[in-house]
Amino acid sequence: MNDQKRETTPAAHLSGLTKQFPGFKLGPLDLVLEPGTVVALVGPNGAGKTTTLNCMAGLMVPDEGGTEVYGAQVHSSRTEYRRDVGYVGEEGGFFQRWTVSRNLAFLAELLPGWSRDRAQQLSERIALPMDKPVGKLSRGNKTKLALVAAMAHRPRLLLLDEPTSGLDPVVRAEVLDLLWEIIEDGEHAVLYSTHVLSDINRLADELVFLRDGQIVLRTGRDELSERWRRVSFRLSDDDLKLAGIVEHRRVRAEHQVITRDSEETLRQLTELGAEAVEVSRMSVDEIAVQILKEGHHVARTEG
Amino acid sequence: MWRALRAELLYFLPWLLGGLGIAAFVVVLLSGLVRFLEDGEGPPSFVITIFPIIAGMVVAFIAQSYRVEERRARLLMAGPLTPRQLAGVTVLLPVCFASLGVLAAVPMVGLATLITGKFEPSTLPIVAGFAGQFWAYAQLGPLAQESSAARRQQRSTAAMTGWAVFVGAILVLTASQFLMNSIYGLLWVAMVAVAAMGVAAALYQRRTDFTR
Repeated sequence: MNDQKRETTPAAHLSGLTKQFPGFKLGPLDLVLEPGTVVALVGPNGAGKTTTLNCMAGLMVPDEGGTEVYGAQVHSSRTEYRRDVGYVGEEGGFFQRWTVSRNLAFLAELLPGWSRDRAQQLSERIALPMDKPVGKLSRGNKTKLALVAAMAHRPRLLLLDEPTSGLDPVVRAEVLDLLWEIIEDGEHAVLYSTHVLSDINRLADELVFLRDGQIVLRTGRDELSERWRRVSFRLSDDDLKLAGIVEHRRVRAEHQVITRDSEETLRQLTELGAEAVEVSRMSVDEIAVQILKEGHHVARTEG
Repeated sequence: MWRALRAELLYFLPWLLGGLGIAAFVVVLLSGLVRFLEDGEGPPSFVITIFPIIAGMVVAFIAQSYRVEERRARLLMAGPLTPRQLAGVTVLLPVCFASLGVLAAVPMVGLATLITGKFEPSTLPIVAGFAGQFWAYAQLGPLAQESSAARRQQRSTAAMTGWAVFVGAILVLTASQFLMNSIYGLLWVAMVAVAAMGVAAALYQRRTDFTR
């Protein structure tokens, strides 16, 4: 495939991706990931994030539908797509008793496009202890090694399955800084699964919310933080019918609502003659909790 | 595939060397004891050869069961390896360790011959019989793993086929005990081992989940 065609082809295209287990069904999922974009896949435990990423990486075979990576079909018996995919998953897949450098040498032997220079550069950048056996690495260093292993062959698509899960705040910040440096060239498309939205918020261009195996919302990061608000006001009317309200509480004479369309809600409140209107911003994690809690009220695509 | 197989073999090599070291110690101890305590009567060759063969088989069993999820993920993400090639690595690992155990038995028999001054080539069929049985049982490991995986992944026909071959293999191996020293017994054992390898490889290729 020539470079021009690669640029116009989606980095990843999920069409009708479906995977079923006893008691759980993922999808059908339809999702397009453009080259150079960072998309956060947000959802609670058991929402289907890991299954989605495993299907995209070819570690699981979907029941229906499929994924294309830069136009190449993801299929376990075809291997062309793997050149373009860097994957950091739950299973590091390293030889535990071998040192970091020996593990990287093993990957260098097998992975097409592997750059020893890049592997060394990244390892030095994050101070990986090259002579230490992988089994004796801290959790943070194992994550860093997984990132180096996923990126040294210069893949165009990075699939990151909760890479900062279980890390202390310092190491978490280091890992996120490294990711920030890697993706700021705009050449990588990244799908980053997490249930801690504040981790990915500064990196993500778009947010995809997954609940019970279904996409409940796909939205731009800025649109989300601009539109969602917590609003309190006084109004004698008990039976409120306001647009965009996802949560409503009454505390004595005061109403407290969370709205996903603050502009429209405020306009309606003005019309109704609401008094003592106070508007406050919400953190992305607060918004995420509301979306995942009230997902059935939210349109599939916002903005 | 060969590079991946080589890496897996190298990874488990320290286990094998440790096992062979213990086997060599036992061989020397046993030969020496019999040589000096029983007036030159050494242990039969087949007893000597069993120890390194057992060492190879134990490592074959360890290699099959040690962090298998990790190995699948590692091999699948480590390069342009297809499930067919990965299946090849999985079923060839026991064969390789079995072969290394058999190879190691040769110098140990030489060592025992030097110590005891006794060599019994007539016991070769017994040695082959034992080695064959161990090899066949080692190949049943991947077959059982893949049959369980097929059941978990709701591939009922594949799971039933796998378990049917597994049970059939156990019955044939049990029956072959009566033909232990004959060429027919060896052939049956070899057929069981090859069938187990083939079915395990076929089940592996049809996995719908390579993570568990």
